[in-house]
Amino acid sequence: MFKGRLRRTMTLLSVSALALGMVSTGLLTGSANAANSTPGVTANSITIGATVPLSGLAATYAPVSAAANAVFTWVNKHGGVNGRKIKFIRLDDCYNLAAYGLGCTAGASVTTLSQTQVLVAQDHVFATVGSLGTAAQDSVLSYLKTNGVPQLFVNSGSIDWNQPSKYPSLFGYQPSYVAEGKIFAKYIKANDVGQTIGFIGQNDDFGTNGLLGLQDGGLNLLPANTLTYNAADGITGSSADLIADIGTLQKNGVQVVVLDAVPGFTNGFLTIAKAFGYSPKWIISSVGSAPDLVNNASEASAITTDYFPEITTTSDPWVPWVRKVLRADTADASYFPGLTATSPLTGNEFYGAGWAVAFVEALKAEGKNVTRAGIVKSMLSTTFATPSITPLKYSKTNHQGMQGGAIAIIAYNGGKVPFKALELSHTVFTTGGTKSSPITVTSHFIINPIPSWLK
Amino acid sequence: MDWWRSLRTQETTHSRFIGMLSLTVLTLVITFFLPPVADSQLAGGAAIAIVVLGLSWLTGWSGQISLGNSGFMAVGAYAAGIWAHHHTSTPLVFTLILALVVGGISGLIIAIPSTRLRGPYLAGMTLAFSAAVTPLAQNFSSVTGGEGGLFFNSLVTPKWFLHLFSGPYAAINANAQWSADLAVVVAGVMFFFMANLFHSRTGRAMRLVRDNDVAAELMGVNLARARTSAFVVSAAFAGIGGALYSLLQASVRPETFPIGLSITLLTLMVLGGIGTLSGAVIGGIIYSFSTNLVAHVNSLTGVNPTSNVGANMQGMIFSVLLIVTMLFAPRGIVSLKTPLRRLFRARPLAPAAKEVH
Repeated sequence: MFKGRLRRTMTLLSVSALALGMVSTGLLTGSANAANSTPGVTANSITIGATVPLSGLAATYAPVSAAANAVFTWVNKHGGVNGRKIKFIRLDDCYNLAAYGLGCTAGASVTTLSQTQVLVAQDHVFATVGSLGTAAQDSVLSYLKTNGVPQLFVNSGSIDWNQPSKYPSLFGYQPSYVAEGKIFAKYIKANDVGQTIGFIGQNDDFGTNGLLGLQDGGLNLLPANTLTYNAADGITGSSADLIADIGTLQKNGVQVVVLDAVPGFTNGFLTIAKAFGYSPKWIISSVGSAPDLVNNASEASAITTDYFPEITTTSDPWVPWVRKVLRADTADASYFPGLTATSPLTGNEFYGAGWAVAFVEALKAEGKNVTRAGIVKSMLSTTFATPSITPLKYSKTNHQGMQGGAIAIIAYNGGKVPFKALELSHTVFTTGGTKSSPITVTSHFIINPIPSWLK
Repeated sequence: MDWWRSLRTQETTHSRFIGMLSLTVLTLVITFFLPPVADSQLAGGAAIAIVVLGLSWLTGWSGQISLGNSGFMAVGAYAAGIWAHHHTSTPLVFTLILALVVGGISGLIIAIPSTRLRGPYLAGMTLAFSAAVTPLAQNFSSVTGGEGGLFFNSLVTPKWFLHLFSGPYAAINANAQWSADLAVVVAGVMFFFMANLFHSRTGRAMRLVRDNDVAAELMGVNLARARTSAFVVSAAFAGIGGALYSLLQASVRPETFPIGLSITLLTLMVLGGIGTLSGAVIGGIIYSFSTNLVAHVNSLTGVNPTSNVGANMQGMIFSVLLIVTMLFAPRGIVSLKTPLRRLFRARPLAPAAKEVH
C-alpha cells in the first residue's frame, strides 16, 4: 500500500516537474517590451530576426546567418546604425522539416511558422531579415503580411518573393532560378549548338522555376528529356529517382544536362552518372554547384553561375573585408571552422555577409526615424554597395534582388579546395523580373567600393 | 440503420455536455492569460489532441493498433487544403467538416482490408498506408502542389475579438489567441462527441470486442463492422485534426506528415493514458510544449544543441518520460488522478484504516 502510494507520488512529482519545466519556459518569457510606435525599435536598438536551419538536414546553410551576424556585430562595435545597435535573433526552424527528426535539435513540433510566431509575437522583431528556404518562407508569407512585418532578403531564388502588388513589404535577395535558367539558355545557345539538351530539376519551385527560365530563354527541351526528382527521397534514402533520371538521359543520348539540384543531390547525380559511364557536359545551378559542399571530382569543368567574387581573387577589396569581419566575431567562430587570415572564404559566407551589408545600408539610408513603411521605401531607393559582382537593386515592380550572374567554371585544382572560377571574359548577364525581360550583357562585373563607414 | 442509432447514448448527455462546455470555457479563459506564443503552441496541441483521441478510441476501445493515423491526418489536411485552394471564401466550419468526412472515408477504405488483420500485421498494413501518402502528395503536384504544398490564408481575427485587445501588439496578440480559441472550441466539440461515443452502446460493444471477440460475437456484435466503424471514427478524428493543424500552420505540405508522426502520436497516447479523454488532453499538452522542454533541458545541461547528444535530446526526453510513466503509472499519466484524489479527499476521513506494511 505504502509502496504503491510512494510510487505514484514519485511519478506525479517527476511528471509535474517536467510539466512545470515545459510550461514555465514557455510562459515566463512573456512580453516585457516597452510600448513603442514601431515594434522592435527603441532609441538605441533595433531588433530583427530570422528563421534559419541551424541543425538538421540543411544545417550546412548555418554559416550564412552567422556571417550576417558577424557583420551586425562589426557594425555595432563601430557605433551601430544611426545610433542604434542591431540585435539579430536567429531561430532554428530546421528548414521546416523538424517533424522528421534528421538531427534537428529544435524539437519535433517546431515549424517555420511557429518560430516566426516567436519572433513576431514574443520578441517583437521589427522585420525578418535573411530567413532561409523556399517552402519554409512560403509558409509564413500570409502570417507576416497579416501582422504587418516586413520580410526582407529571403534567402532563396524562387520567384515567389517578387510579388510587389500582393506582398509590398516582401523582398528576395539572390537572382531568381528563372533568371539563372535564362542565362543558361543564352549560354547553351551560344556554346552548345546542335547538342541534345536534357534537364533534371528538383520537384518544387527550384526545379520548375529553373525550367521556366530555360524555356523563357528560348531553349527547346523534349519532354522525354525533362525530368524531376523528389528532394524528400533524401529523407528516405531512396535514390530510385536519381538512377532512373540518369538512365533515361543516357539512353536518349543527351549531351548537355542542366541540373537544378541541392548540393547533396548534385553529388548523387554525378556519382551515379560516373557509375553508369555517362559523362555529359554538366550545367549546374549556382545553388547546387557549391564545390566545397558537392566535393566530387566529376564536377570539374562543370558550368555554373556565380554572383560573388572568386574566392581566390586579390583584386576585390570585399574579400579581405569579409574575412576580417568574420574573424572579429569570435562568438560565431564555430560556424567558420579553419578560417585564417589568408584562407579562402566560402560562398555561404559571402552570401550572408552580402545581405547583412545591404540591410545595414537600407537602414542607414532610412535615417533616424525608423518605421516599417520607411524601410520598404528605403529598400526601393537605396543604391546598394555589397560584395556581389552583379547589381542588387529593387524597384516598385521588381522585388527579386540580384538580377543576374556571371558564368563560372568549377575548378578542382589538385587537392586544394575546389572553387568556382569566373569565366575569363568576366561577362555579367542581367535580366528583369518578367518573362519577356531581355538579358543584358555587360562586359565586366561590378566591384563596389566599400563604404567608408563600414571599414 | 440500427448501427447509427446505437451511436446515440443511452444515458443522459446533459452532465457530459455541461462538463465539456465548462472545461472548454475554462481553457478559453486561460488563453487570455497566456502569452501569444504559448497560445499558438496550445492551438497546435489542441489539434494533435483530437488526433490522439481518435487513436485512443481505436486502440483503447476496439483493441486495434494503427501506425497510419499520420496518413489519415494528411488525407484530411489535403482535403481541406485542396478545397480551400479553389474556394477561398468557404466558411471554416465547412472546410473542417469536409476534412472529417474525407478522413472517415479514407479510414473506411483502409479498414476493409485491415480489419481482417490483427496485431503486428495490422500495424504493418497501416504503416504502409502512411508511408504511401507522402509520395502520393509529392507526385500529384497538379492537385497537391507537390513538395511546395498548398497554402491557406492565415486566420483572420474578427473585429469584435480584436476590440478586446489594446496596446501596440494588439493585432498580433489577438491573432494568436483567436487561433488558439478556435482550436480549443473545435477540440471541445470533438471531445464531446467522443465522450458520448464512449458511453454509447457502440462504445460498450467495442470494449467487448477488444477484451473477448468470441464473447462479443455471442452477444450479437458484428465483429467486422465494429472494427471497421472504429477505424472510420479514428480516421475521421485524424482527418479533422490534421486539417486543423494545417490551417494553423497556414499550409499543407507532405513534409508535415512523416511516418514518424504516427509513432509520436502513439507515444503521446500511451503517455497520456490509452482510451481516456484526459489522456488525449495530456498528450496534446505534452506535444505543444515539448519544444520548450527540449530548449530548457539543453540550456540546463549546457549541451551543445548541434552536437549528437543535442540532436537527440527530444528523443531522449520522450523515452525517459515514456519509461518513467510505464514503470510507475502503466496506465498513463491520467491514472495518477486516483492517488491525487485520495490525497485531497480521503485523508481527513480515514484515520481508522490501519495500513499493513
